Amino acid sequence: PPSVDLSNNEASSGNGFVGTSRISTNDKYGISSCDAGSTFMERDVKNKRDFMDLDVCTREKLAHVRDCKTGSSGIPVKLVTNLFNLDFPQDWQLYQYHVTYLPDLASRRLRIALLYGHSKLSDKAKAFDGVMLFLSQKLEEKVTELSSETRRGETVKMTITLKRELPSSSPMCIQVFNIIFRKILKKLSMYQIGRNFYNPSEPMEIPQHKLSLWPGFAISVSYFESKLLFSADVSYKVLRNETVLEFMTALCHRTGLSCFTQTCEKQLIGLVVLTRYNNRTYRIDDIDWSVRPTHTFQKRDGTEITYVDYYKQQYDITISDLNQPMLVSLLRRKRDDNSEAQLAHLIPELCFLTGLTEQAASDFQLMKAVAEKTRLSPSGRQQRLAGLVDNLQRNTNARFELETWGLHFGSQISLTGRVVPSEKILMQDHICQPASAADWSKDIRTCKILSAQSLNTWLILCSDRTEYVANSFLNCLRRVGDSMGFTVDYPKIIKLQENPAAFVRAVQRHVGPDAQLTAYYDSIKKYLSLDYPVPSQCVLARTLNKQGMMMSIATKIAMQMTCKLGGELWAVEIPLKSLMVVGIDVCKDALSKDVMVVGCVASVNPGITRWFSRCILQRTTTDVADCLKVFMTGALNKWYKYNHDLPARIIVYRAGVGDGQLRTLIEYEVPQLLSSVAESSSNASSRLSVIVVRKRCMPRFFTEMNRTVQNPPLGTVVDSEATRHEWYDFYLISQVAGRGTVSPTYYNVIYDDNGLKPDHMQRLTFKLCHLYYNWPGLISVPAPCQYAHKLTFLVAQSIHKEPSLELANFLFYL
Amino acid sequence: MEENNLQCSSVVDGNFEEVPRETVIQFKPPLYRQRYQFVKNLVEQHEPKKVADLGCGDTSLLRLLKVNPCIELLVGVDINEDKLRWRGDTLAPFLGDFLKPRDLNLTITLYHGSVVERDSRLLGFDLITCIELIEHLDSGDLARFPEVVFGYLSPSMIVISTPNSEFNPLFPSVTFRDSDHKFEWTRMEFQTWALYVANRYDYSVEFTGVGEPPAGAENVGYCTQIGIFRKNGGKAMESCVSEQYDQHVYKAVFTTSYPSLQQERFFKLVLVNEVSQQVESLRVSHLPRQKKQDGEWGDKPKDSKAPCPCFGPVFTEVEKAKIENSPKPFCVGDKFFVPLQRLLAYPKLNRLCANEEMMRSVIADSIPLSSDGSAVVSDLRDYFDEQF
Repeated sequence: PPSVDLSNNEASSGNGFVGTSRISTNDKYGISSCDAGSTFMERDVKNKRDFMDLDVCTREKLAHVRDCKTGSSGIPVKLVTNLFNLDFPQDWQLYQYHVTYLPDLASRRLRIALLYGHSKLSDKAKAFDGVMLFLSQKLEEKVTELSSETRRGETVKMTITLKRELPSSSPMCIQVFNIIFRKILKKLSMYQIGRNFYNPSEPMEIPQHKLSLWPGFAISVSYFESKLLFSADVSYKVLRNETVLEFMTALCHRTGLSCFTQTCEKQLIGLVVLTRYNNRTYRIDDIDWSVRPTHTFQKRDGTEITYVDYYKQQYDITISDLNQPMLVSLLRRKRDDNSEAQLAHLIPELCFLTGLTEQAASDFQLMKAVAEKTRLSPSGRQQRLAGLVDNLQRNTNARFELETWGLHFGSQISLTGRVVPSEKILMQDHICQPASAADWSKDIRTCKILSAQSLNTWLILCSDRTEYVANSFLNCLRRVGDSMGFTVDYPKIIKLQENPAAFVRAVQRHVGPDAQLTAYYDSIKKYLSLDYPVPSQCVLARTLNKQGMMMSIATKIAMQMTCKLGGELWAVEIPLKSLMVVGIDVCKDALSKDVMVVGCVASVNPGITRWFSRCILQRTTTDVADCLKVFMTGALNKWYKYNHDLPARIIVYRAGVGDGQLRTLIEYEVPQLLSSVAESSSNASSRLSVIVVRKRCMPRFFTEMNRTVQNPPLGTVVDSEATRHEWYDFYLISQVAGRGTVSPTYYNVIYDDNGLKPDHMQRLTFKLCHLYYNWPGLISVPAPCQYAHKLTFLVAQSIHKEPSLELANFLFYL
Repeated sequence: MEENNLQCSSVVDGNFEEVPRETVIQFKPPLYRQRYQFVKNLVEQHEPKKVADLGCGDTSLLRLLKVNPCIELLVGVDINEDKLRWRGDTLAPFLGDFLKPRDLNLTITLYHGSVVERDSRLLGFDLITCIELIEHLDSGDLARFPEVVFGYLSPSMIVISTPNSEFNPLFPSVTFRDSDHKFEWTRMEFQTWALYVANRYDYSVEFTGVGEPPAGAENVGYCTQIGIFRKNGGKAMESCVSEQYDQHVYKAVFTTSYPSLQQERFFKLVLVNEVSQQVESLRVSHLPRQKKQDGEWGDKPKDSKAPCPCFGPVFTEVEKAKIENSPKPFCVGDKFFVPLQRLLAYPKLNRLCANEEMMRSVIADSIPLSSDGSAVVSDLRDYFDEQF
């Protein structure tokens, strides 16, 4: 088999890749730790992972959708996409050649130079990585012998052997298309950082937060339902307007020396830096405080040189600060040549920070400023896409490149989606048809919620300063509670000093065996979730101080408190009787990055209003699968306890799946889920479906209205053209995006014993997006996924341990 | 560390001398590097604004020269268009250049064309280099070469390097150093030619070289001989450039412009950054240290083994005095003010901005100023302070 990176896919797919949501967070800001500016074949691992997923063909095993996976209900809606046709002649093929050199040349650059310099190939479109050559035109002979002379007079014989003829749909060919487009975008003066392309000459500034945003695009070429399409989406690269040295200096001022090194490492390790003297990015893996720029290191030729001299000689850069430590980056080998990973020492002064530190990402004001700058309306987005396409078609270099490959950049794809019928919200004594599915808080204001435990014995902890607000809040809470059917008795109010220790002490002292509780977040949550499981509600005084908002805030808090006590707010009509829905999400622990936090939430009643929630900490992917089994067994027991039977159907929504993990899911998780289902019943066991949920996907959809594009209506389903042939998949738009562009949520049914019609599967999924009790409106994913997400987030950020099982029956994490 | 693997690229680019064959003399650093370094030193010494490299090949010399802050126009000319196209991308600005822009504009252009053709876009240059070029010209072209480069382009300075054939017996092979060489000259031949040309076009010439001969063979001279030609009467006459007819025979293959402080957008970016950084550093040092009050952490770590990082700008006594004497930052309520005059006292900002008025007008719409516009205002405490 050929030795290009791609062919190693099978080998590497077995290595369970850990760490999913990390990647998606990174994606949000366009960060990736791979090198920019390198030539084609050797793409980063992440890219390979994409292609790995493509090998997984799940639809062929699902008999009921083998012929047709599209639904039919709803009103058809015409949609414009961010996908574009790539036109090429029908018989277009890619020819893959293997090139050998005699005498053999070790230098990749020399190999490429000799081949590119040969007149025989000079007018042909080609992609070459030193070993593998791709041409769009076949050479006359199967084996072509060329000879070239180095300027040194040495004759080198190159043997070019045809290996394969690849149809345009082959994965290898798609990879080459991606390479071609990367080349083309570079010709448009865009810079590749990670996988995306950015235009640094038109930065947008956020001076108050010392940030620059580089506008750019995420692009890819992939084979969709029936043809190869080019997709593009707007992306922004966040850069900090400071060098790492400046960042360190400022940090040192803040922290003082005592805890500086520790804080600094905490802040910087894991971030990606851009070096000033080349176009490469590096991930900071460590900081070496003992090495200074005046120290020496060994160059490749064995000579010793100081960092100062090296940068002077190599890049003509004078390092001004001789006391700075070194950043250490583990160089990821692009080619698997078995050599050991190398360490690079980087000078903080010459490195720029990209992306946001965790702390910055938690700064609401900062994130708001970033969001405001990057938010694009559908028409704004469409304009940017049009700009890119225009550029691609007009730029002579870009066009030349496309034409030599025999490609033509085609039209923007339009397709037909369907808007599924809206749902009614079932309250205790009222069925309401909300005016807008986005937010039905007004519609249900006068309605009683389905069920609520009354709040009898409880505490409010507050500081002296906030006593007044706490009292007026209590009044509001009782009033709104009354109207929604949630009885709130008077609590004991305890005034405290304003520090975490005092709060925790008070909690420890006052929380008796059957107290419930209201009012420094992490420590309280930790105590009340682990040591002494009692539902709690934290409210910031600042939130309560907002003028005129008290009632709506109290309503929201009353609902949260109801849920935490095991109450049910509303329901939608579920036509399937005896259906259990499960949400699973996975993310990394904020403190120890090698720990995976797995959150699982299962419905325990046919109305899908009560939930069983567990969170488990694990270290490896196989452990994740194992703990799913533990969870499922527990959930089925719970179901049996409440319903005296097992559910006939189980539908699992699995979120937090990284690129390239599909196979792992199918090979490890699905079997574990199946075995837990089989083991819990001696006779007919429940039927299982597993659906992968992705909030981030390339396609965007717009409706055209009055000559401008807008977000599609809620409930829009797309199950053709932008989907993949080998998968049972669909897109669903179940969220509103105020002034921005809505992202569809992507669903891929990877396992399905239930045999529901695609139409029913889609509508059921839509129904489940109505059931998240923290928000009286539709959300972007099915409620169990969002619950699981909320739970993993709380554990990963604040608790770092498995919450007490006593809380499993309550939505304590809302 | 990323080490540019120049050695292997040199093999294809006609710099064969440093690739050892059998028992060949090896130069350290490699000879081509010595030639480039020679040009680079010359540039540092004379600070030309416009530099052209004729026969630029794979553009290695241009890449070396582009970091020089004095150059504002850098041009490469070669007859091999493929190579220019292929290597051109490497001359584009680095991403870092957009974050730390140069002081002066820089445009780099690569032309496909022959050095014996006249193109008016190469008029008025301060330096034109022809490194290992003339030996590739056949006799006809060689005859036309002085007329074009010296007579027509007529830059202030010309550097020509070519192999010294007297050195060749030290190499194992007796033929020319490159199969494309039309001739290789002795020192006498080169100097005769050079003096004649210099005389004819009113230049003075000085001879030197790179690649010291090995011990015992000193009499053969440098491996590469170099002539530095200076135009008598100094600078190229820029005035006559405009009078000439525009003559564009070269094909521009690649062109790129660097971001610089001369461009408003980038000047503003840098100034706003520097100001907010300085304000931030002043603000933080103004904050009372809460942690000291707790007493738990103590003032300074007693652990002397821990490396004590102390960095940040170091000022000279004069600079310190200047900063001391400028208006001090102050607080009003929970607002923190830094007078623009204070900011201007810091060398980094002073270098960017001549006066208060200029600073005010550039930063006004990005950074909050006091009502009279004389100081930068920020909140005394920000989000991050709560984090520590």
